[in-house]
Amino acid sequence: MDFDAVKRLLAALERERVQYAIFGAVAMGVQGLARFTEDLDLFIAPSAVNVDRLKTALRSVVDDPEIDNITAADLLGDYPAVQYVPPDGSFQIDILTRLGEAFAFADLETERLPFDGLTVSVVTPRGLYAMKRNTVRLKDRADAQALKERFGIKDEGDR
Amino acid sequence: MPVRKFRSVEEMKTLAWRRPGDPELARALASVWSFGRRLRPSPLQPGVRKFKSIAEMKSR
Repeated sequence: MDFDAVKRLLAALERERVQYAIFGAVAMGVQGLARFTEDLDLFIAPSAVNVDRLKTALRSVVDDPEIDNITAADLLGDYPAVQYVPPDGSFQIDILTRLGEAFAFADLETERLPFDGLTVSVVTPRGLYAMKRNTVRLKDRADAQALKERFGIKDEGDR
Repeated sequence: MPVRKFRSVEEMKTLAWRRPGDPELARALASVWSFGRRLRPSPLQPGVRKFKSIAEMKSR
């Protein structure tokens, strides 16, 4: 993933006032742990206005008619997970409006943190831990353990 | 990057984390992501793909 391309995209999200929260490995990075990832995971508020803002932000950094295929009808309907890669393949964004029954945008615990000259919205360590701790993927479980150790997060039953 | 020495693996783990906003963190992220991109066997496929769940999306 191209760091500068991701930074340009995050700046555009801020400029267009997209309601978003970074989660996944990039969120781990913003929180302080640099690890490999191929995608920028974005949870966005589920509204047609917000999807339009996201598309405007994307168009401001990438000239690609394919962006028209990101639609509110899909993201608010049967396809709450949409993946986009620009023509130059410099990054991949995974856009989410729902995460099963467990997480909705309004319930996310988020914070504003500095990121190389920007201020971005990111899920808190506790929120990331909650999202990752019971997933199947090994790397998510490793992230959950790293968050738990770094931020002293307690599970129910921990002493 | 200079050589760093540790008295235990646990000590190494704690140093992997940096504070949010630390300029060194941005440099580390840029380096790790760039390295990962160079190692990728094939380029990312451009376009929009739609999924019914995050599980379906991440399994691809």
